[in-house]
Amino acid sequence: MKKILSLLLMVIMVFGLTACGSKPAAQPTQPAQPTTYEIAMITDIGTIDDKSFNQGTWEGIVAYADKSKITHKYYKPTEQSTDAYLAAIQLAVDGGAKVIVTPGFLFEEPIFKAQDLYPNVSFILIDGNPHNADYSVFRTAKNTVGITFAEEQSGYLAGYAAVKDGYTKLGFMGGMAVPAVIRFGYGFVQGADVAAKEMGLTSIDLKYHYTGGFDATPEVQTLAASWYAQGTEVIFGCGGAVGNSVMSAAEAAKTKVIGVDVNQSAESDTVITSAMKGLSASVQSVLTEYHANKFPGGQSLVYAADKNGVQLPMESSKFKKFTKADYDVVFAALAAGKIKIANDKDAADVTKLPVSIVKVTFVK
Amino acid sequence: MGMEYIIEMLNITKSFPGIIANDAITLQLRKGEIHALLGENGAGKSTLMSVLFGLYQPENGVITKAGKEVSINNPNDANNLGIGMVHQHFKLIQNFTVLQNIILGVETTKNGFLKMDEARTKVMALSDQYGLKVDPDTLIEDITVGMQQRVEILKMLYRDNEILIFDEPTAVLTPQEIEELMKIMKELAGEGKSILFITHKLNEIKSTADRCTVLRKGKYIGTVDVQTTSKETMSEMMVGRKIQFTIDKNPSIPNASHFEVRSLTVSSKRSAKKAVNNVSFTVKKGEILCIAGIDGNGQSELVYALTGLGPIESGQIFLNGKEITKMSVRDRNVLGMSHIPEDRHKDGLILDYTLAENLILKKYFTPEFQDHGFIKFNATHTYADRLITEFDIRSSQGSKTMARSMSGGNQQKAILAREINNDPEILIAVQPTRGLDVGAIEYIHKQLVEQRNSGKAVLLVSLELDEVMNVSDRILVLFEGEIVADLMPAETTVQELGLYMAGSKRKEVVL
Amino acid sequence: MKTFRKILLGEEFNRATASIIAILIGLLVGFLVLLISNSAEALAGFKIILSGGFSTGAKGMGQVLYFATPLILTGLSVGFAFKTGLFNIGTPGQFIIGAFAAVYIGVTCTFLPAPLHWIAALLAATIAGGLWALIPGILKAYLNVHEVISSIMMNYIGMYLANYLTKSTIYDIRKAQSLNVADSAVLPKGGLDYIFYNDLGGVKDLSTVNSGIWIAIVVAILIYFIINKTTFGYELKACGFNQNASNYAGINAKRSIVLSMVIAGMLAGLGGGLLYLSGASGRHLKVVDMLAVEGFNGIPVALLGLSNPIGIIFSAFIIAYITQGGNYLQTLNFAPEVIDIIIACIIYFSAFALYFRKLLPFLIKKGRGDRQ
Ligand SMILES: Nc1ncnc2c1ncn2[C@@H]1O[C@H](COP(=O)(O)OP(=O)(O)OP(=O)(O)O)[C@@H](O)[C@H]1O
Ligand SMILES: [Mg+2]
Repeated sequence: MKKILSLLLMVIMVFGLTACGSKPAAQPTQPAQPTTYEIAMITDIGTIDDKSFNQGTWEGIVAYADKSKITHKYYKPTEQSTDAYLAAIQLAVDGGAKVIVTPGFLFEEPIFKAQDLYPNVSFILIDGNPHNADYSVFRTAKNTVGITFAEEQSGYLAGYAAVKDGYTKLGFMGGMAVPAVIRFGYGFVQGADVAAKEMGLTSIDLKYHYTGGFDATPEVQTLAASWYAQGTEVIFGCGGAVGNSVMSAAEAAKTKVIGVDVNQSAESDTVITSAMKGLSASVQSVLTEYHANKFPGGQSLVYAADKNGVQLPMESSKFKKFTKADYDVVFAALAAGKIKIANDKDAADVTKLPVSIVKVTFVK
Repeated sequence: MGMEYIIEMLNITKSFPGIIANDAITLQLRKGEIHALLGENGAGKSTLMSVLFGLYQPENGVITKAGKEVSINNPNDANNLGIGMVHQHFKLIQNFTVLQNIILGVETTKNGFLKMDEARTKVMALSDQYGLKVDPDTLIEDITVGMQQRVEILKMLYRDNEILIFDEPTAVLTPQEIEELMKIMKELAGEGKSILFITHKLNEIKSTADRCTVLRKGKYIGTVDVQTTSKETMSEMMVGRKIQFTIDKNPSIPNASHFEVRSLTVSSKRSAKKAVNNVSFTVKKGEILCIAGIDGNGQSELVYALTGLGPIESGQIFLNGKEITKMSVRDRNVLGMSHIPEDRHKDGLILDYTLAENLILKKYFTPEFQDHGFIKFNATHTYADRLITEFDIRSSQGSKTMARSMSGGNQQKAILAREINNDPEILIAVQPTRGLDVGAIEYIHKQLVEQRNSGKAVLLVSLELDEVMNVSDRILVLFEGEIVADLMPAETTVQELGLYMAGSKRKEVVL
Repeated sequence: MKTFRKILLGEEFNRATASIIAILIGLLVGFLVLLISNSAEALAGFKIILSGGFSTGAKGMGQVLYFATPLILTGLSVGFAFKTGLFNIGTPGQFIIGAFAAVYIGVTCTFLPAPLHWIAALLAATIAGGLWALIPGILKAYLNVHEVISSIMMNYIGMYLANYLTKSTIYDIRKAQSLNVADSAVLPKGGLDYIFYNDLGGVKDLSTVNSGIWIAIVVAILIYFIINKTTFGYELKACGFNQNASNYAGINAKRSIVLSMVIAGMLAGLGGGLLYLSGASGRHLKVVDMLAVEGFNGIPVALLGLSNPIGIIFSAFIIAYITQGGNYLQTLNFAPEVIDIIIACIIYFSAFALYFRKLLPFLIKKGRGDRQ
């Protein structure tokens, strides 16, 4: 009997295989319902409410789509790999997607392939530019736009605001030393330095460290706690869940934290402000251009202050002295290109930055 | 009719894949009687009792209690109807204490706490009343089978059962214990409890039972009045032929020393006293040497030490002049040691293997059954089929039957077949006929004598005085781990043997 | 009628049927959750789950096989241990250690030519997984430490060790994941690239599936033979059923326990290797504090396959198939999170197979009794 059953199963499998072999795969099965979704987002492996990239990007899509009454939906890949991301993209295309938004640099390779596989679909790659597996070819096709952010400006705003608000002992805890994190950190150091100069301060202490990962770990929390114990007043937790460990330490020490990427003030009372990337703003602006038939295909856009690519969320920030007016001044200066900030390409390491008042202690 | 019987099982039919274990069987139990159930191994006795106890659902037939039809779907139903059962293979939890086992399932609690004291008082009262000596706080795994059985009986009494089923209770008991049990059963019957009693021993039926129902190969043969029916008639009803109760054997011609034990000492798990104390003996070729004694006097430890399954403290063991004291079990087996273990479920069988797989348990690695690491299944089944016919092992699906589903006696026959067929140099047989019907016992005894006649050595460990006297060529009596007598069966009596076993007599043993 | 009942009560039928009934019940539960979450599209959604891997053309079917590959191995690992009386809950640890070993060899030993390189990587995975299970095996055999407890510990140690080693030896800092293994260490497609792709206007959109699935099937058959046909399997099973009787038969029970654990670990480790050698576009090691789900999923796979190696191949296929169907469910208005719940329901309810297996004959007999 068992034999018969396994035979049956086998027949089903074989039938299945021949079924897909004979069917021209060019037109994959139509979805069971005619409902289609014009704008699609593929999530990174995390959830849609990750208080980070997925959420920030999705909020931008929702804001735009609700306003313009366009159908939209997000898709979750089965695992974190190029193939799985491509499969999710296929799903979105089958679901009627015309524009696909993908958040995070892990989509660089999948989009590199997808832009050729689906020439009639437009791709918006947030925080990266398409390239092949070994980084030997960077190419952004006509149906794709890559968006990166001027993280150094965002970091600059955070450092500047912190010092202006009266903090003199700062800390920076980056995740892994990837370019985006380095830019945040360099900007943070330089913003603090400029603020100190403006205020006529003579010394600002800044401890600087890369944790080497993007996870919340006990080690990170311990290190943050020891910094706080040594007098550090505020730490810029920069990199994935690293910030959560810093927040835990700050909650215990009753000290402060600066968040990153998205507005993290809801995550902990200790968060005084966040060095945000304009995820939502950039997505909305490119989507608007798309529907106005001005899709900036083939380009690598850098979103800086001028295009609302960076910001501090002033409404929810918990500053004592630093006001909205102060913020508007420095932001306008950045947007007008009046402030030059050294980024990861300009300095070999953090101690080589052109700062005079901030004393950077690099913690290995 | 009706009220005359407390329990009636009418036309009960129960089949298993490949066999009808009970074929329209009728059994009527009167109130206050001891009713024996007799039948060969695999006749369907345990099955019928399991139906009554709610473990199996029959395909056909009705059960009535006091004239009213009842449905018994599980042991709880049975318990509610006042039916209790002591199983052929006990169902006690090994790492629970005696007391915990007795109250298991009917615990009384107060505020969520067990009312152990009350339970203890009741158990001890019952134990005193019926002379069922138990030690309430020892773990089951540490007590003898005899005591385990007393625990099972107390379990039934504790639940105030009035219909008591005993499935081969005497198979594992010493003669003294059997006598006590018979007394207790009569007492219980006298109080109005009704007893169903399975045994293969006609003496026991003769001395205790009022009536006896006989089954053969799943069929009902008849119910007789025990007083007016002879043992011979009953056994003929059961087997369908005449049985020879004593074995013919020529006097042994002991040969050279063959299996030798020198100053063997085994420490005890439970007490500071040695389980086996400085024991020495030899078994000669062509001799059946019997170790007699009351259960729990070191037999198990001695056998475990000899077979390599248990530790020894000091001493030496030789087989054919070769020292095997430190040899692995496998090496001993290969050298020609066979062992029929005391506990067939614990050591003797892998219950979830088929009969065939069990029959090659000690030979699966030999070229006969193995080729480049692969088991030769054809050879295995041919071999199994041969043993099945030779030893009359009855089961529902032949060599492919799961050992677990076989009747107790047939499980024992499977072990015997495997061990004797190995053509051993030394056969260590512990209670080899435990649970066998008279026909099978006759056959096994013949086999043992056969072994010895062909010049092999047999070490028989038995609690059964009849067997000891009948089969052995020489008897050593073990008492508290020491050999207290070395006797020839022809020159001694059962009474004298009993005195040695009880420790009230001692004889200097010359080795 | 009589023979029909006989078949129904027969052991073999009962086994396979129970699994199938279990899957049907799992699907039913899944359907209920679909109804609750979105009644309008529940039926359409159910159809999609049923059409599973077929939903996305040949590539989708390929993905089913790709997902099934590690599941077959971890299922075998759990099933093999079950058969020998052990509960190997240490598959996640063995799996990830195996994966690390494979990727490490794949990244570093670039001097090896193509077939040798990936073979070496797989061997390393197998050995590493085996070593990881050796410790619980020894603890169980010689110190009587229950394997469940020690393997859970080994799971965490394995996860942290793999994280640490990945980060300190083969890390791609730009992507926060392990480096790509050399091309010579990527499992060849084994002819599957001619079947499992979608043709997108002349461009082949290939499935991730590779010869790993062949290896998995061959290993399953091998394990089937070891368990059922060899003296070695006979010994291991005997120890699983009854250690006392095995000792009595002269089998070295302690050694058997250790070997059973090691083989189970080797299977899980190989599973890790097969999954992570699927090339640049496949899976990479991440530094995350999460036990490998592929490891745990070995348990429902083994249960559903009733620990039979051949059964495990099918149950892994079925679970991968349903998972893939769930993925495609996203084309309807179901939140991905709800889909995860639905699929988990189907898989875990199905895994009660063993329970139904015991229940089935009882129900049939009961039905018969009532009719009389
Ligand atoms: N659970 C079961 N599954 C399959 N067959 C069974 C099962 N239980 C018993 N049998 C078969 O039914 C028959 C009767 O078995 P039963 O245990 O009732 O015999 P018995 O009269 O008690 O024998 P013994 O004196 O050896 O204990 C045997 O052939 C046995 O193999
Ligand atoms: Mg019986």
